[in-house]
Amino acid sequence: MMLALPSTREEAWRWSDLSALPALAAAGHEGGPVDADALWIGGDEGARLLFVDGRLDRDRSRPGPLLTGAVDAASAHPLGRLATGEGWTLALGRDHAAPGLIEIVHVATGGASHLPARIALDEDAQASIVETFVGDGWANRLTRISLGKAARLMRAVRLRQASGFTSLRDEAELGRGASLVTTMLGAGGAGTRIDAAVTLADAGAYAEIGGALLARGEQRHDAAIVVRHAAPGGSSRQLWRAVADDSAAASLAARVEVARDAQQTDGEQSLRGLLLKRSATVNLKPELEIFADDVKCAHGATVGELDARALFYLESRGIPPQRARAMLTRAFVADALDRIGDETVRDAFAADANRWLGEA
Amino acid sequence: MLKIENLHATVDDKPILKGLTLSLNPGEIHAIMGPNGAGKSTLSYVLGGRPGYEVTEGSVTFDGADLLAMAPHERAAAGLFLGFQYPVEIPGVSNVQFLREALNAQRKQRGEEPLSGGAFLKVAKAQADGLGLSMDMLKRPVNVGFSGGEKKRNEMVQMGIIDPKLAILDETDSGLDIDALRVIGEGINRIMRKPDKAVLLITHYQRLLDYVRPDFVHVLAAGRIVRSGGPELAHELEREGYGALAA
Repeated sequence: MMLALPSTREEAWRWSDLSALPALAAAGHEGGPVDADALWIGGDEGARLLFVDGRLDRDRSRPGPLLTGAVDAASAHPLGRLATGEGWTLALGRDHAAPGLIEIVHVATGGASHLPARIALDEDAQASIVETFVGDGWANRLTRISLGKAARLMRAVRLRQASGFTSLRDEAELGRGASLVTTMLGAGGAGTRIDAAVTLADAGAYAEIGGALLARGEQRHDAAIVVRHAAPGGSSRQLWRAVADDSAAASLAARVEVARDAQQTDGEQSLRGLLLKRSATVNLKPELEIFADDVKCAHGATVGELDARALFYLESRGIPPQRARAMLTRAFVADALDRIGDETVRDAFAADANRWLGEA
Repeated sequence: MLKIENLHATVDDKPILKGLTLSLNPGEIHAIMGPNGAGKSTLSYVLGGRPGYEVTEGSVTFDGADLLAMAPHERAAAGLFLGFQYPVEIPGVSNVQFLREALNAQRKQRGEEPLSGGAFLKVAKAQADGLGLSMDMLKRPVNVGFSGGEKKRNEMVQMGIIDPKLAILDETDSGLDIDALRVIGEGINRIMRKPDKAVLLITHYQRLLDYVRPDFVHVLAAGRIVRSGGPELAHELEREGYGALAA
């Protein structure tokens, strides 16, 4: 089958580098033993799924409320539409709370894997889900999310693949007063494309999507986020931090759309980039499209370098230059990661970021 | 301990220090005074190793070693402490984390064991108490939201924790009210007035010298030491101004 990929001539894909995908799509999985033990971060309570190259490893999974098999999800998105067939589903009825932290680990051993997922929370239901991507190859995922009235979903994604590519497509629809908080951390060696379309479909919903993308070497991180306020009284927060070293590039296109009826929308967007070398690239593209007249939308986008005065201050107290740079870089991404509510997840993200910085 | 000989330095290719010679022995406190633009801060940055401050001639040895060949963090590990005129605010990095890491990096460089978290906090608390800074403030991000006086106290707390052999204090008295000046002065005496330590106090005004009595006073003008003397020289400067002396 021919792999039809979007062209960088299309505006939404201009900063993407999908050139590795055809070869990965044609390659087979390497297979071999997979050690996932160190990747679980939660306690005994939460459900766990381990996917190796997109296939469920039943022996090392405990599905709990999760269903595996065919998934009711479809997308017109150029990468998301490739994720068809079997995957996982979390459907929670009214007032149900999934116990503990749900963990989904995706291990890739080369080649490509496409996996759909569906999260549907009824009125007042709630769940916390963390997904972790490791290994090598192309992991392509589609996640469709629908939240009923006052439902709450915390979603965290750790992008830690050593090489290859991870592409995520999230499509979410939030009901009245529902809350979706998504935090992502790119702290591996793989290329990344994050696509998200979040719609606040009913009044008073809350959507937060953000995180930190750390890139070095030749790496490309690329996120394209659209938050759409379709109903009044909604709030959204997009807080992203992009760090690029060497000749890497980290790109963020974040868009807020406010429909004519979505009065009293409170939107906030903070995009900040840090260049660790002059040869690196950070692209930031904040976009606002507002059709309502009673709206508060704060936004800011800045790119800079580490503060030379702060570096010298740290070094003058005995901290070696490399460590001083790591401390300031860590501080730069702190506000994107410190806001994670769940302590276990926050600690795991912090450890991932510190590991990335320690490898400098 | 510190031997500066015929030091020339430029900033942005502009000559600032033009043949400065100065020696500090253990147990001595030297004050360097001078008008604005004389090169006082440049001297402190050159000794600390700040990028952009280029030495074009001369030498500086610290305990016999070539100070100018060392990176800033190596100078710190060798026992040099630079007190900043304008301490830098660093959001996202807590004071205690920064200081513990700084101290242990220095200890590692010297081949010493790292200090445990508990042992470090004990040392930090003692120093913070001595300078009237709460532990709460020490846990906050470095200098963020600190008043001018609090930043200077924090410099002294850092000096107390790091316990250096040689302190270069650049206008540590600027922006302090009279009470803070006394606290800072007492701090300098308590931490640094020891037979095996030395201090280079860089100041524009004489008033800090009421609290920290220098053994020697030097006048820096146009990049060189133009006059040296005992503590009485500071009073003379206060009376007569720099103009007459530098001429």
